[in-house]
Amino acid sequence: MSAKYKDVLFGLYDDEVIMMNAIKKANAKHLDIMDVYSPFPIHGLDKLLGMDESRLHIVGFIFGLLGCLVGFLGMTWIFTSDWPTIFGGKPYWAIPAFIPVTFEMTVLFCGIGMTVVFYIICGMGFGVDNPVLHDRITDDKFCIAFQTNDMSDDGVDGLKGFFDETGAEEIHTKRI
Amino acid sequence: MKQFTFERNQRTFLGGMMVLGFICLIMSYFAEPAVIADAGIHQRFWSNFLHNATFFTGMAFMITFVLAAFITAYSGWHVTFKRLWESISLFLVPGIVLMLILGIGNYMGFHHLYHWADADAVASDTILQGKSSFLNNNWYMLGTLILGGIWAFIATRMRKLSVQEDEQGKEVSNFAFHRKTRMWAAIFLPIAAFTGPALIWQWIMSVDAHWYSTLFAWYCMSSWWLAGCALTLILIIYLKIKGYFDNVTNEHLHDLAKYMFAFSIFWTYCWFSQYMLIWYANIGEETIYFRERLDNYPVLFYGNLVINFLLPFLILLRNTTKRRYGTLIFASLLVLIGHWVDYFYMIKPGTLITAKEAAGHSHGTEAAAHGAVQHGSSFVEGFSLPGLIEIGIFIGFLGAFIYFIFSQLQKASMVAENDPYLEESVHHEVQVYE
Repeated sequence: MSAKYKDVLFGLYDDEVIMMNAIKKANAKHLDIMDVYSPFPIHGLDKLLGMDESRLHIVGFIFGLLGCLVGFLGMTWIFTSDWPTIFGGKPYWAIPAFIPVTFEMTVLFCGIGMTVVFYIICGMGFGVDNPVLHDRITDDKFCIAFQTNDMSDDGVDGLKGFFDETGAEEIHTKRI
Repeated sequence: MKQFTFERNQRTFLGGMMVLGFICLIMSYFAEPAVIADAGIHQRFWSNFLHNATFFTGMAFMITFVLAAFITAYSGWHVTFKRLWESISLFLVPGIVLMLILGIGNYMGFHHLYHWADADAVASDTILQGKSSFLNNNWYMLGTLILGGIWAFIATRMRKLSVQEDEQGKEVSNFAFHRKTRMWAAIFLPIAAFTGPALIWQWIMSVDAHWYSTLFAWYCMSSWWLAGCALTLILIIYLKIKGYFDNVTNEHLHDLAKYMFAFSIFWTYCWFSQYMLIWYANIGEETIYFRERLDNYPVLFYGNLVINFLLPFLILLRNTTKRRYGTLIFASLLVLIGHWVDYFYMIKPGTLITAKEAAGHSHGTEAAAHGAVQHGSSFVEGFSLPGLIEIGIFIGFLGAFIYFIFSQLQKASMVAENDPYLEESVHHEVQVYE
């Protein structure tokens, strides 16, 4: 992104079905949608926007494996060399007793790791102030946004025409 | 195609499986392993009978249970293949009859599967005396007859309503048939949840009459459901290849495979929880169960975990393997056979001990009281591992099971036309990027 700011032209829709039809039309016209905002997840939306499969689950697998190893090897180290303790006459390296810990560590690492990575790749987190296009996007409106930084006036008018014909309730511009 | 036709060559093939199984069953009556041959109680035959009868009856029971749970929970996605599940659930009727044969056998002394059914053994055994108010012939017989009868009654009831809905569903208002089905399903759930464990304790856990585990019923039920789920997948894929079940798509298979994946982990959870608590508490009367299996059945003990947890987990972990016929059939066969072996591992060691005791008694060695019998680590054919005869019997029971399912399947339309959730099921979609 060369410019430090984005000029955004966006339209608000009342209903997700209307918006989904608008996206189909935009795809047919080869319009370059910047992003789509919705108060809730919409089934099939990411396919329409041509998004790739999320790779977050790979992160989950790696963190899970890491947690599994940390749990099992950690317990092994603690109870065989760091501080050997006998519980109930069991051997120091009591594998069945380590499995619940291993399992919990796997889940913990997986959960926390995925959450943190998800926040990072979405640019969210404590102290990060993200610009909100319109307050009602988080309530009951569905939004299609176009970036208009280097666009001619004709191009912008064309997009406005597109919003009008696909049934957008409101059209706004905003610099973020 | 909406109507299933049970073709001649299918009948012949399944009939052949049944004949093979029948021959093997007869053979197992005479091919008693040498260690226990003296007892003359035909333990190999009866333990195979118990093993397969409980395995297939339980599969039908758990399919009914899951179907009832889906109906009660307003689930819609399963409707395109629910006729298959209804057909499986009807196997409860012949299944309960098979179990009643064992119940009658307890009175008549056909078999010596259960230590508690042996009056001489109970007389000198305070633990069995303490359990005798539950572990006795009447409870076994009446429990199987009444509780199992209730299951079979509700399963046939739900099936009947579902078929009636096909014929008259358009004439009634407010989905009357579906609402009635849901009422029966809701009645079935608590009954099955409480009586299922009771019969599992009677049928399977009491093979090791001195031992008990509170987790055992969960473990058995998850095993049955996994086997049923695997068989459902195999049959759906077979019927799809034959041209039926147009509406059952990869999406449905994907969700069924997810069930198989998730419940394989649940099964392991039950297995491990039972093992670890007993291992940790280290109380002799509990650990004897695992001591016996670790010493004399190590292949089954560890193989059970590999085939029922490790392999399904690794195979079904990825999305793509849950949507391809090849990997699905492979994983389903693995799970089906794996859980059959799981039941083998639950039933055979206990019955072998009982048979060895009976063999000891007939020699007049009364000193070999229960628990003091020395079990050598020698290989016992048909008990230590499934032999060819056992595999033949499995094939025979499987053939009979599928024969029954197909003959029920042809009695109604393959598509539950007036089910209110049919449309939802046809459009069922699991979002996957391919």
